[in-house]
Order: sequence, then C-alpha cells, then structure tokens
Amino acid sequence: MKLKGIIDSLSLDVLTDVDDKEVTGVYISDMLSDVMSNAKAGNLWVTIQTHKNIVAAANLIDISAVIVTQGIEVPAETIELANRYDVVILGTKDSTFALSGKLYQAGIT
Amino acid sequence: MGTNKCSHQWEMVNTCSGFIVTETCHKCNLVNTYFSKEEHPPLEEYRDGEHFWNVMSSSQSVRFDLKCKLCESLVTFDELSALMLCTGCIKDCKVYNYLERSPGHSVWVYVAFGFKPYKDKQQLSSEKLGVLEDYFNLKRRSTKSSIKIVSHKLIDDEDICKGGFIMDEFLLSLEAPGNK
Repeated sequence: MKLKGIIDSLSLDVLTDVDDKEVTGVYISDMLSDVMSNAKAGNLWVTIQTHKNIVAAANLIDISAVIVTQGIEVPAETIELANRYDVVILGTKDSTFALSGKLYQAGIT
Repeated sequence: MGTNKCSHQWEMVNTCSGFIVTETCHKCNLVNTYFSKEEHPPLEEYRDGEHFWNVMSSSQSVRFDLKCKLCESLVTFDELSALMLCTGCIKDCKVYNYLERSPGHSVWVYVAFGFKPYKDKQQLSSEKLGVLEDYFNLKRRSTKSSIKIVSHKLIDDEDICKGGFIMDEFLLSLEAPGNK
C-alpha cells in the first residue's frame, strides 16, 4: 500500500513534504537504537518521540514515514530537518495502541 | 574480511542491548566512554589508577556484529559507539564535503564514533566503515538516496558539531499535560 493512500484512509496529519513511498510494514518503538537495529526499510515508524534525532534514525533505515501519536506537537526544528532529509513525518491524535489497531485493520502489518 | 571475493549480503547478528556510559575524571577532565550491559552504572566516584571517575550520562544503545549470509564472514563492531547524521552545520567541515544533494540522488552522511579517549582505544577501520555502509545501503529501498559513513576523525571540533545522534538520550521534548 502506498503512503498517500494510508494518509487518506486514516486521516493522518501531514507535517512535512510527502514522498509517496511503498509501505512495507509497521514498526512501533520509542527508542532510536531499537529502530536502528530492528526496523526495516519502507516501514511506518510509530512513536511518541519528536526530538530531531528521529530524523537521523528514520533516514538511516529508509523509513517510509514517522507517525507521531497522541497529538504530540513536533518541534519546528524537527520538521525543518525532516524536510531537508526527505523524511516524512505524520501526526495523529490517536494513541499508539489505537493507531496500531487501525493500521492492522487496514491490512498493514 | 581478508581477500574474500564474496559480494557480501550483510545481516545484523549478536545484537546486545546495553548502555553507552560517559565518565569524566575530575582531576584531569579526561572523558571516558564505554559500552556496558549493566543496568546501573557506578553512581559514586571511583578511582582507577590516576583517575577519579564520575558518571556523567548513560544512554541506552545496542551493540551488534554483521555477518554475511553468503560466506558467513563475521565483522564485529565493538569499537562503534554511535552513529550521527551530518546536518551540514559547518560548511567547511570535511564531513560536509561528502554530502551530496541533487534532484535525482542524494548522499546522506553519517559519522561513526568510537569510544573515548580516542587515542587510547581502538577505532573503526576504514574497512569496517565500508562494511557498515554496505549493510545500511543494502537495506534501503529508495533509489533516490544512499548512505555514506565516515570516521569521526574528519570532524575538526566535536564540541561545535550539531549532528543528529542515533542515541537514546535527552530525547524527551514532551510537555507535561496541562502545561499549554
């Protein structure tokens, strides 16, 4: 499934420029070291972390998009860095648990 | 690694969660960093030879090796402390020179840091940097970008470097509920 299709079907907030990548699955973690060692290219990364260092991890693994949950505000510094490095950041007011359920129901596992 | 002619397909193995511990000696201000599996670093000052060490920080991290799925060569990365994304903060930095940005393809630069003090501890060889770079590039699906990994030795002054570390420390930029 393509990223824009997921954004539309789940009404995700688009916080950066969007590259319509193919989504390969979902990885949920709030630890950068864990993402670096276990997430896969094309994954949606679901997290509550918003520090600019998430761009470093997402870019290294070639994440399709970072989804920040719980309506947490992403700092402008992180958004600016993400746009510079072609990292897509999305937002949702849903909790990580609720979003996971929606992604699973949408067939993204 | 030797003269193996295998076109390696690297995978991450022997992953081990732990902590990157940073200590300073209050007598000489020397900084010491190391990887520890201990959940709690020593909280009190301790003496080791001429140094009196105090823990400054402890950040969660992961140690790993890379193994080729084809020839089973194993490359260890015990010398790797952290990876940092170059954010291009200093335009005449040698690291920045590797950064490439063009409409069709970009090269994103990561700096591999070893453990301190650098002069006393073995640092990553250029061969291992190449293996690490190959591993992350093989994992990528995007054809619009690739990764370049360079040594921390290219940075003139780490104190003014503003790169993005892949490290679980000082990440929380959350406000407590009700503060807005």
